[in-house]
Amino acid sequence: MSKVVEISPTTRHEGHTKLVLKINDEGIVERGDWLSLTPVRGIEKLAVGKSMHQVPKIASRVCGICPIAHTLAATEAMEASVGCYVPEDAMLLRYILQCANRLHSHALHNILSLPDMYLPGTDTKINPFTPEEPVRSVALRIQKLREVGQTVGEIVGGEAIHPSNPRVGGMYKNITPRAREKIYDLAKEALPLARDHMEFMISVFKNFQNRDTVEVGGMEVPVPDTFGFHNQGYMATAPVYGSSSLDDDPTWFPERWTEVRPWDWYMGETEIDYDEPNYPIGGTTPAGNKAWPQMEACMGVPLYDGQPVEVGPRARMVQYRNFDLKGAMGLQIARQMEYMDCIYGMMEAADALNTSGKVLADEIPQGDGTLGWAANEAPRGSDVHLVKVKDGRVRWYSLLVPTTWNFPTCSRALEGAPWQLAEVIVRAYDPCVSCATHMLVVNEDKRIVAQKLIE
Amino acid sequence: MVLGNYKSVVAARSTDNEILKGAQDGGIVTQLFAYALEEGIIDGAIVAGPSDEPWKPEPVIATSKAELLAARGTRYTLSPNISLLKEATRSYGLDRIGIVGTPCQMQAVRKAQLYPIGMRDVPDKIALAVGIFCMENFPYQGLEAMVEDHCNVKLESVKKLDIGKGKFWAYTERGAVAQIPLKVTHKYEQPGCHVCLDYVSNLADVSTGSVGAPDGWSTVFVRTKNGENAWSKAIGAGCFETKPIEEVKPGLDLVKKLATDKITKNQKTLDERATFGVGKGLRNPYL
Ligand SMILES: Cc1cc2nc3c(=O)[nH]c(=O)nc-3n(C[C@H](O)[C@H](O)[C@H](O)COP(=O)(O)OP(=O)(O)OC[C@H]3O[C@@H](n4cnc5c(N)ncnc54)[C@H](O)[C@@H]3O)c2cc1C
Ligand code: SF4
Repeated sequence: MSKVVEISPTTRHEGHTKLVLKINDEGIVERGDWLSLTPVRGIEKLAVGKSMHQVPKIASRVCGICPIAHTLAATEAMEASVGCYVPEDAMLLRYILQCANRLHSHALHNILSLPDMYLPGTDTKINPFTPEEPVRSVALRIQKLREVGQTVGEIVGGEAIHPSNPRVGGMYKNITPRAREKIYDLAKEALPLARDHMEFMISVFKNFQNRDTVEVGGMEVPVPDTFGFHNQGYMATAPVYGSSSLDDDPTWFPERWTEVRPWDWYMGETEIDYDEPNYPIGGTTPAGNKAWPQMEACMGVPLYDGQPVEVGPRARMVQYRNFDLKGAMGLQIARQMEYMDCIYGMMEAADALNTSGKVLADEIPQGDGTLGWAANEAPRGSDVHLVKVKDGRVRWYSLLVPTTWNFPTCSRALEGAPWQLAEVIVRAYDPCVSCATHMLVVNEDKRIVAQKLIE
Repeated sequence: MVLGNYKSVVAARSTDNEILKGAQDGGIVTQLFAYALEEGIIDGAIVAGPSDEPWKPEPVIATSKAELLAARGTRYTLSPNISLLKEATRSYGLDRIGIVGTPCQMQAVRKAQLYPIGMRDVPDKIALAVGIFCMENFPYQGLEAMVEDHCNVKLESVKKLDIGKGKFWAYTERGAVAQIPLKVTHKYEQPGCHVCLDYVSNLADVSTGSVGAPDGWSTVFVRTKNGENAWSKAIGAGCFETKPIEEVKPGLDLVKKLATDKITKNQKTLDERATFGVGKGLRNPYL
């Protein structure tokens, strides 16, 4: 007999979500629905009619962890729609910004993941806030890596959170030779730290996967060999940066994308008939309450080739590096492996940068309503913005953000795991739910079907 | 208190003739920044640099003595130096910022340090804030009218502008001097200056102006630990000639008198704002 348990809210990720889980007598998930409860803010709708210069600045505010992704994807979607080619030094500055943001974001995510993990070889769970070693040094290292990421982002992007420097046509400013040197010094300082840190984090995640059981709220829970496995595909557009419809060989294909409503994808109304007051902290939703994922989910369900796909560090590693580790810990490990790319990436781009090169296109066309899109490989995966610009104004706009792609995929990955570890799987996706709460839902014919939600 | 808190006050001038040649008074600002740059006390200074229009300043980040020299002299019109404050820490990559400005600009710097609204990473990067005395300022059109219409001199031909001894003076490259009484200039003052309660840059690390010291010299207040550190090192390095303020004419009494006049007059303007309308008043930013 299956039962239904609900974890609401989930914790240690960005935004507001819950898990509605159908479990068997052993407590193993038979079907899992992970859904966003973050209120819809309607960015896509309110962008219509605004200037192409303002919309990327608004889109940035979708999320403060990965504002770089939304700023760059939005700006480059505008550029793709109007057909504006950006000078090379502007692209190098954007590339540095991209690397800097990924560095900070991955390091931040370590803080969120570590409390589920054990110090390898011990039965001690990691509390990132403890003053005791060796965890204290790890926490300081994470802070240093984040500081480097944010400082470099600030120098090239004008601001670490909501970068001010990018604009349609390039960047407002190039940087000075002194600033370039500062980036280089910071990257060199971070390089050995990142290497040590990557190795430490990988050993921690491997150790988790190799354990027979882990403890959650006083319960000993088995770790299955296939923890967090799913059979969905992967989608990535580049190892580091992204792609756009201006590219000679774009790596994302709008015709392969469709979207369904949560109604078609999530569970119907159901009663919660299992609860666990010891689930940390504060217990699960008490039995007797009702859940209705179809109605409650605040997002669309995007499909690629008719299927949910995984996006993010592993998708990039699978597509571009022959990575083959599956499961929740495989995804975590792939994320750690991106640290070095971030640092070498910013150093190489800083090397190639001409600090007296121009950073703004000579001509910025105003657009004739052509559809343009840009994909940015955000820390959490492909962030695709699609737009039609005419006479300098946005006429139509849509965001397909990484966590939106991952919601249905991760839901499937919950199957076969003890329900007490469902959040550990969710966290492996580094969800960013204010990013994912998006607003227009289109059906197979690209017709808007859920516009009512936001009117 | 009209002169603010300070550790010491002297009359001083730079010992560098090159600096003195184009400086407004004793070349204190330019000399202090040049020394601080050389010593690594700052790695750049926000100053009022030249622009395309004559006597219209444009804020720049000077990282060389040549750029500092190009910014010498008083431009009696607005130079929004604070507009570069955040950018200095961004695309310019500065870690230790020097900044010169009028008293209101020193207030802006301190406020950004204590209440950094949209000013991330600015508070700990202010290394040396040098304030200049300021009685009032003028919009560019006002300055144009004063120089071109009242003094009857083309702005392009002006070598130096000065306010002193109750008059506004324009000196031309070719050696002519024109002057008008200050009361003619009053209507051109920027209205915002009429609620300003600071004459001698009370919030700067070091503040300097012409009043109190003889021609070619400056009055210098050393106010903070930071300012004292830079100032005493510069003195040690032989950057400045100094005299005790008590030994120069007209000395501190005149500074105090002018400061008191400014504050008294502007406090009255402020007070009147409270009852400006019928049954309602205008905002007071000090409340
Ligand atoms: C609007 C205004 C009103 C003033 N009123 C008085 C006064 O009533 N009494 C008095 O004693 N002194 C006054 N001064 C200050 C005085 O004119 C000199 O600026 C000061 O003595 C410094 O001279 P110096 O030789 O040390 O500086 P210099 O070495 O000549 O350097 C001057 C510095 O001031 C900066 N600067 C020039 N114009 C501006 C501006 N508009 N805004 C911000 N920074 C600027 C320049 O960038 C330069 O770095 C005033 C200055 C200004 C700008
Ligand atoms: S009088 Fe006051 S407000 Fe006006 S420029 Fe001078 S310091 Fe600023």
